[in-house]
Amino acid sequence: MSKLNPHIAPPAFASRLLRWFCHSDFHEELAGDLEENFLKNTEIYGLKKAKRKYTIEVLGLLRPSVIKKVRLFNYQNNTAMFKNYTLVAFRNLSRNRLFSAINILGLAMSMAVALLAIVFVTEIYSFDEFHKNKDRIYRVNNIVIKPDGELSVPYASTSLLAAQKIREQVPGIEKVASFFKGFYGDLKTENETYSIEGYFASKEFFEVFTFPMVQGNPETALTEPYSLVLTESTAIKMFNSTDVLGKTLLRRKTPYTITAVVKDPPRNSHLRFDVLGAQSTLASETRNSVLTDWNSMWSSYAYLLVSENRNLEQIQASIDQIAKEENAKSQSLNAKLRIERMSDIFPGEDRWNEVGTVMPNQRLSAMIILALIVIFSACFNYANLSIARSLKRAKEIGVRKVVGAKQGQIFTQFITESILVSLISLILAFFLFRLIRPEFLSLDFYISRTTTLELTTSTYFYFFLFTVLIGFLAGCIPALVMTNFKPISIMKGIANMKVSEGINIRKILIGIQFVLSMGFAILVTLTYKQYQFALNFDLGYETEAILNVELQGNDFDIVKSAFIQIPEIEGISGSAFMPSTGSTNSDHAKIESKADSVVVYSIRINEDYIQNLKHEILAGGPINDDLQKKQMIVNEAFLKQFELGSPIDAIGQIVDYYNENREIVGVIEDFHYGTIYNDIQPFAFIQSEGYLNYTNLKIRSKDMNSTMAKIANAWNSIDSNHDLQASFFDEDIERTYKDLSSSMKTYGLLSIVAISISILGLLGMAVYTAEARLKELTIRKVLGASVQSLVSLLSKNFVIIFIVSAAVAIPTSYYLFKNTIAQNMEYTINIGFWELGSGAILVITTALLTISSQAIKAAKANPSESLRSE
Amino acid sequence: MKGTYLGEFQEIVLLTILVLHENAYGVSVQEEIEKRTGRGVSRGALHTAFTRLEEKGFIQSEYGGATAERGGRRKRFYQVTNLGKSSLNEAKEVRDELWNSVPKIALQKIQG
Repeated sequence: MSKLNPHIAPPAFASRLLRWFCHSDFHEELAGDLEENFLKNTEIYGLKKAKRKYTIEVLGLLRPSVIKKVRLFNYQNNTAMFKNYTLVAFRNLSRNRLFSAINILGLAMSMAVALLAIVFVTEIYSFDEFHKNKDRIYRVNNIVIKPDGELSVPYASTSLLAAQKIREQVPGIEKVASFFKGFYGDLKTENETYSIEGYFASKEFFEVFTFPMVQGNPETALTEPYSLVLTESTAIKMFNSTDVLGKTLLRRKTPYTITAVVKDPPRNSHLRFDVLGAQSTLASETRNSVLTDWNSMWSSYAYLLVSENRNLEQIQASIDQIAKEENAKSQSLNAKLRIERMSDIFPGEDRWNEVGTVMPNQRLSAMIILALIVIFSACFNYANLSIARSLKRAKEIGVRKVVGAKQGQIFTQFITESILVSLISLILAFFLFRLIRPEFLSLDFYISRTTTLELTTSTYFYFFLFTVLIGFLAGCIPALVMTNFKPISIMKGIANMKVSEGINIRKILIGIQFVLSMGFAILVTLTYKQYQFALNFDLGYETEAILNVELQGNDFDIVKSAFIQIPEIEGISGSAFMPSTGSTNSDHAKIESKADSVVVYSIRINEDYIQNLKHEILAGGPINDDLQKKQMIVNEAFLKQFELGSPIDAIGQIVDYYNENREIVGVIEDFHYGTIYNDIQPFAFIQSEGYLNYTNLKIRSKDMNSTMAKIANAWNSIDSNHDLQASFFDEDIERTYKDLSSSMKTYGLLSIVAISISILGLLGMAVYTAEARLKELTIRKVLGASVQSLVSLLSKNFVIIFIVSAAVAIPTSYYLFKNTIAQNMEYTINIGFWELGSGAILVITTALLTISSQAIKAAKANPSESLRSE
Repeated sequence: MKGTYLGEFQEIVLLTILVLHENAYGVSVQEEIEKRTGRGVSRGALHTAFTRLEEKGFIQSEYGGATAERGGRRKRFYQVTNLGKSSLNEAKEVRDELWNSVPKIALQKIQG
């Protein structure tokens, strides 16, 4: 036999592999045999080949008779052991009531948020799943190419012409369903009028989409012009029956014949409609340019049903060809056509001219991320407290191990325990979930318009699965820590055991929690301040006590004559829409003597508007309703842009605007016609010319309820078909900043959850520290330490954690605020010390109070109580 | 009888253990089989055979002699039990009987 050379050793990886998979009963024999062979082989074949042979032999041992028995529980009576685990778990829970409560409450709060996220995400992902051909439906998007070559954000819409060309020319497509989103307004039966919304849809609509018929033939329902398809609920509303085929309804004095009734579009459809009119109707209407104009891409949509063996690249290429031809023919539009999968629509990327409300991808991912953050925070708590308290259970683990428990069993025990805790939390979380659901639904219109958060069997299943997962996650670290306790060191004495490695992990976990809490708290403060700032923003005119009433198609003068009799109404004016609420209108304006045309924003108003909303007039006067002389009022920015000099000089200038030559009759001070997201650009008020949609009532009233009743009465006297639509200007502005207030609410809710969880965790840690050091503290006290010095002794470590967390949280949340919420804002709050500091200070103060309450309790305790037993 | 069937390879292993007498352990059995039959045997295949034979009660094993070239690991020596021996005999008897029953003419190799 050879001399033993330490360099001659079997390949380390292979021998480690063998040790890993080989059953311990055989390892000694097999490893020995292999090594003996290996040494012989080295002499015969050389080291390299011997190593290779060794590896091959090891791999050859990968067989059932050699491999460890992979069994989670190495004993027969699992159920008995599980019973024991559950019993011990319950005993432990009830022995440490405070800690159990902290864990359960913390987990329940975060799980409630997570449940919300689960329901929300499942609901969002169920969208459009009901279409039988969902995998083969594609939508055509228009992307406008601007004169400078830049591409616009994709439009969800395209032209009906494009749809028709694709229908005729592109191979590999079975059907093209197109529709025009313009079937709204009133439908009249013999004696009633109903306000409806729907599409002019092409005859392939029911072949591409799956909207089952109640009555009628899906293939022919939309073929003939003036055919009409009602949804089930619309039919029942109008006729109290679905048996309505052949009946007629009047739309704009034209009769439409009902050819079919379909089931209502499900809630999780991104297409929603009350009625569908045949698209062929458009050809016989005056608006047939919608059908033939490449530029009419603003409210029509095309969905393609591609064949089974599609070649998307080929389809896209043929569609590109169509776009190229049409762009060459058209003077007004240069656009690309692009197809996108149906499943990418909802939730989807940002598109202009969406058919309905679409949940943006970012919102969905933000929701998921925030829920995950909260969940992890609560899991940290559990891990933290369990590790901290693990010493108390060391004896139990020691005894179990000595009696013969394997590592896997100890692990299973603690996992069982944490899953049990999370299941208990689930019950509480479920109640919390029901509590916050309505709040969440009202958070923003993306959510309220698209989701119901109704629970289904699958969501219950996900809840359960998720709970077990959370139990596992939360229990994983403590279970591993406790599994690795050596019985010998436990038996020698707990006092000597090292758990110092755990302390750093715990500090980091607490730190992360506090960064989150402070971060959320600071974000809430900033968003709240910004929201208040937006609401109280000095717009440059008065919005107070102005009630805006939608005319809903009624003539302004008739409405005015009805309202003018109410004494509480001080002033009445009219406008096309309301400024400062996010809507804008613009066109190019040109002055003869100046070279360039400029984009000017505008609102159509009547002659009383300027005075009614108290705009500051710098020169000239208000518009009058003399239509012979076209007039406009401009702002200071307008003068600056066109270099018209002083306000007085500008009066009498003629501007080419909205296809008319208009004379400047007045100049007003700059005001914020846009929102805080826009700065002030050239702006003009122009004559109404019959385009009024709102009347603005200036109200002075002591009894608002009775005034509103009078207004409603006056309204009903002139229009009994429509309900009064009125809102105060300040409410309109509030609604404009709805997304700010919804981010505020989201962060508010999350910060409450995050802060509560971290404070709970901290409370647990503080109680534990005080308990663990009780003897030390009493001895210090006996030797003369003051309560104060004991408190600071206990709090010192935590204070360092808080300071570090604040140092991380403040810049991060500032950065987040600047780059998300305030990203596109022209006017933002000044962020100073208090804006940033107050959130952090609040969290730190609460935390310090929590710690010191425990510290004081420990410091004040009677020394004889804890020393007596020695 | 289920479980007492002796596979061909198992039979070879049993016989080899008997051949090696007091020195039958993994490596020696492996080498002996390779030497005598000329076919390579993997340690894994051998292990499976040992396991099966032990399950059937044909062999028994005990640990002995650790040597340095085994990394200080002990050898596991195998012995054929009485049951194993009788099973071998039985198998041999069956074969002998069969051999004896074969007509001589059948054993002549076919020409051409």
